Amino acid sequence: MTSRQFLIRDLLVLFGLTGWALALPGFASEFAVSMALTCLMYIALSSSWALFCGTTRYLSLATSAFFGIGAYTSAILLESMAWVQVIGLGALVAAAVAVVMGAAVLHLRGTYFAVLTFGMTELIRHAISYFEKSVTGTVGRVLMVVPDRDTIYLTVLALAVLTVALSITIRRTRFGLAMLGIGADEQRAQTLGVNTRWVKVAGFALTAAVAGAVGAAMSVRWTYIDPHTVFNPFIGFQTVLIALIGGAATLWGPLIAAIVFSVLAETLRLQVPQIYMMSLGLLLILSVLYLPGGLASLRTESLRGWRDGAKAWWIETRDDLSGETKRRKQREKSLRERRDVF
Amino acid sequence: MTSSAQPLLDARDITVRFGGLTAVDAVSARFMPGELVGIIGPNGAGKTTFFNAISGVTQPTSGALTVQGRELAGQGPHRFAANGLARTFQTPRTFADMRVRDNIAFGLKFAGRRPRQYIWWGEETTVPWVLRTPESILGLIGLSAQAELPAAAITPSQQRLLEIGMALATRPRMLLLDEVAAGLTENEVEEMALLIRRLRDELDLTVVWIEHAVTTLLRHVERVIVLHQGRKIADGTPAEVVRNPEVIEAYLGDEMNESSDEETEA
Repeated sequence: MTSRQFLIRDLLVLFGLTGWALALPGFASEFAVSMALTCLMYIALSSSWALFCGTTRYLSLATSAFFGIGAYTSAILLESMAWVQVIGLGALVAAAVAVVMGAAVLHLRGTYFAVLTFGMTELIRHAISYFEKSVTGTVGRVLMVVPDRDTIYLTVLALAVLTVALSITIRRTRFGLAMLGIGADEQRAQTLGVNTRWVKVAGFALTAAVAGAVGAAMSVRWTYIDPHTVFNPFIGFQTVLIALIGGAATLWGPLIAAIVFSVLAETLRLQVPQIYMMSLGLLLILSVLYLPGGLASLRTESLRGWRDGAKAWWIETRDDLSGETKRRKQREKSLRERRDVF
Repeated sequence: MTSSAQPLLDARDITVRFGGLTAVDAVSARFMPGELVGIIGPNGAGKTTFFNAISGVTQPTSGALTVQGRELAGQGPHRFAANGLARTFQTPRTFADMRVRDNIAFGLKFAGRRPRQYIWWGEETTVPWVLRTPESILGLIGLSAQAELPAAAITPSQQRLLEIGMALATRPRMLLLDEVAAGLTENEVEEMALLIRRLRDELDLTVVWIEHAVTTLLRHVERVIVLHQGRKIADGTPAEVVRNPEVIEAYLGDEMNESSDEETEA
């Protein structure tokens, strides 16, 4: 397929999925819609995470910070502003924080970057907890006027679609190419004319804007928010896990993994919560070991490769257990000895 | 063309320190348009560090750097690239996952998008035709047949050519080559040297070429700078440098005398 055909395919798939998600509240149960909402939230979060972190390989753990900032912006402004403005401001504030954070830590790579983004997330969480306790005198905020369920669903759906559409388009722009170059070899990209500093900060701010908007939209679903729920590091970790398991460098990987995850989450978490966490860990280990490109890189060839590998392993184990390996070695040894005699 | 009185790159008293170690010690060098200059020196002489400093990859501890009349010391490598300075790396740093063609297209998309600068430079009003497209650049360096392969799949000597191609894609006025002939066979080294000369002539480039294989280098360049322990100890034509007692004393020693003898015999 040419690059144009790929574009058309991707847009058609997105279009089809959007239509399906739009129709969902019409026929599905309350439970299914709430599950779809969580799923859409993680599609937006992990697709936007992968858009920057997957291509540049800067592993950010700050998603929950931007999510929480969006949620708090929404909680403060909801009563005085229109819904769309609230979402927009949530994105804007999160992006502004990301610009400051990015300017401070984006010159670090690898573990240092990951650890510092996580540290800053905790810093923001504790700062807001302290501020709420000592200045406003509350531990949490109750949201009085909340939009109805369908508005929230449509907003998060729009954000998810927007994020995937952004991923599709940015991949084909100079900006996307620059991020790819940074991921491959940052210094080389610089010597070829990429202003890496600017690209990194802009990409980081873009991810943050999506997370902020999603946070702003999702906060109203809970009607009561406090720093522990909206700055929950688990939101950030799960975003990263979904992107990694799905394939951080791929377009559809985060979306596929987000669907798998929310199905897993809703079916397992209610009945056996420990098994949910264990299966998350297991999935991550399996995907890192056997599918480094993520779920989206799964092809029939890889399945065939696993099958052949498993078959070879089974034959070997069977021979070991039945003593066949030992006998074969014995045969080879005696053959050698006989040859040596002659 | 730029007036010949103004150097394309003027480095004055470039010093690079890493902690207590002075890797480059107050080295000054001027590179005029169209020159082909070699830099030699034993291991640890500071050749690559000097290169890094004049291409923005390493920030010099002190010193001034002027590229085409613009003061660029302390700025990022992308500013150097945007001002017509391209470089290669000692170990080829191609984008392994991308196709060969896309590796070339990368540079064209960023620093290469500067047709206006060619207007300011006067004579040329457009980009040289051989640097127009990825295909034409691949033709120039002789990798047309490999265009669709991933960069990881081509041979090490082709990697070196691709590395040069990527640098050319930024449409430079000056090309810094860091040991592009290392690890190549004798024939390949000769071909590489001819390619470099051809690039210089056809594209009117200034070429600065670091090489460990001194003999090859001396045969092809017009001027040699010798670095030793971070200092510049000689700067002149190959014939002058070969006779410079300080160079013989400090670095080249017997090995150099032998190879220069060979050359005079030949």
